Amino acid sequence: MSSLALEHEVATLIVQTLKLKADPSTIQPEAALFGDGLGLDSIDALELSLAIAQTYGYQVKSSDPEIKAMFSSLRALTRAIEKNRTK
Amino acid sequence: MSTAPLIGLYAPNDVLAWETDGPRFVSEFLADVAELAASLPDYPSVLNLLSSRYEFLVGFAAAMVRGQVTLLPQSRAPQTLRRIASENGDCYGLTDRNDTIEGLPCIAVPSTRVCPGRSVAIPRIPLRQQVAVAFTSGSTGQPMPNRKTWGALVSVARDTGIRFGLKADRCRAVVATVPHQHMFGLEASVLLPIQHGLVMHAGRPLFPEDVRTALEDVTGRSVLVTTPLHLRACVMAGVKFPQLEMILSATSPLASELAREAEDQFHAPVNEIFGFAEAGSVASRRTVTTDEWHMLDSVMLVGEDPAWSVQAEYLPRAIRFPDRIAITAQGKFRVLGRMEDQVNIAGHRASLGDLTRKLLEVEGVEDGAFFLPDIDQAPLTRLIAVVVAPGKTPQDIRRALRLSVDPVFLPRPLLLVPSLPRNETGKLPREALRRLVEQHAEQESHHEL
Repeated sequence: MSSLALEHEVATLIVQTLKLKADPSTIQPEAALFGDGLGLDSIDALELSLAIAQTYGYQVKSSDPEIKAMFSSLRALTRAIEKNRTK
Repeated sequence: MSTAPLIGLYAPNDVLAWETDGPRFVSEFLADVAELAASLPDYPSVLNLLSSRYEFLVGFAAAMVRGQVTLLPQSRAPQTLRRIASENGDCYGLTDRNDTIEGLPCIAVPSTRVCPGRSVAIPRIPLRQQVAVAFTSGSTGQPMPNRKTWGALVSVARDTGIRFGLKADRCRAVVATVPHQHMFGLEASVLLPIQHGLVMHAGRPLFPEDVRTALEDVTGRSVLVTTPLHLRACVMAGVKFPQLEMILSATSPLASELAREAEDQFHAPVNEIFGFAEAGSVASRRTVTTDEWHMLDSVMLVGEDPAWSVQAEYLPRAIRFPDRIAITAQGKFRVLGRMEDQVNIAGHRASLGDLTRKLLEVEGVEDGAFFLPDIDQAPLTRLIAVVVAPGKTPQDIRRALRLSVDPVFLPRPLLLVPSLPRNETGKLPREALRRLVEQHAEQESHHEL
């Protein structure tokens, strides 16, 4: 799967998991997911991590040095999933 | 005056806490407390925002030794902190090294410790000493202070330990996903381990993989102190966890199906605690066996239907239940529903009236209301806000709300409307609000971002 296709798949996962009632294609790939951007919080991060584990077999953990960067934007999250997925 | 020791039965060489870099022994802890206590400024109260559970405990204990009260804000929103600080006399902050609280003198912790390992006796704290204030959001818009004595904290920790037969020879540690600045977190993840001679894990694991790592940091069986949200993530993540002694869940009701799955997966009983900031923990149940709550030994139900209160020797007065309950037997009750104005989102309780008041304080907002959608099967329900604010975007309003409202209460979605469906008396019927929200959800499903 191309990175762009995966990016759209992850955007859809975010919207469905967090019930954002938005079109996945309107999420800016480089915009912040947390704080001012989509306004997500740590509970969303937990929900999202669960969906990522179930869909891609990747267990997110806080000790991961890339954790901050990875949740910073859709593009960064897609990159982390691409690198660590087991299914 | 009667007193109780800061910590329960430990030998000086026992491990009291587990930090990211390893163990903290009892002797080390007592020296850390004595050293910090000696360097604290002479103020009556302190905002302890330390993120390590161990450093928080050192700060909390040092403040008690100095006769100072630790303030536990219900959120870290800057306006909440400023308001609490300004209304509680002279106050300073204990903060992580790279953190400060605007407008408040702050001490960064840990400071460089000079004489580790010097021998210090276990301090004894008077039972009547006021040691903490937990704030809740009342319907008036002011944070309501709930004052806690050392006697109240010790009594709850002892009763909880007795209820579940916690003994240091069977169980070794307490690992918690809940914040220690929260009333349940303070009782179950800080006081419970240190009053029963257990190892207190200093971390606050979020993801299931973090929980597994934290449980493996400590040898022997642990108690996992958590919430239904974290527990659900752990059960569904497909991570293999070590054998536990027990799971303690609180802050929002746990579904019995989830409790059963958690018992199967962890091979340990899942117990729930019923509590509220005004009174602390008051009852428990093992969710898979009953939906009835059993009062802790020192707490009594008083009053009459429907106005029930709890009473205990350590409480200054009888305190009203935040929920409607029915007494089922001596010392047992069922929860019927919550009081009209109260909402609980991911374990955080707030008053809809207070949230709406904060919304109306936002510049450019002419009218608005918070609304709790009908609870569906979703694990997490978020609040919805309907707002009249010509010329503003949802992002503008959300950004402003973030300054005064805990993030879990930020509305999702936040709907901008030309006017609210108020009736002739100016009231907002819930049914009309619900219809408005439904219409908007259909029409503007692309507007949220």
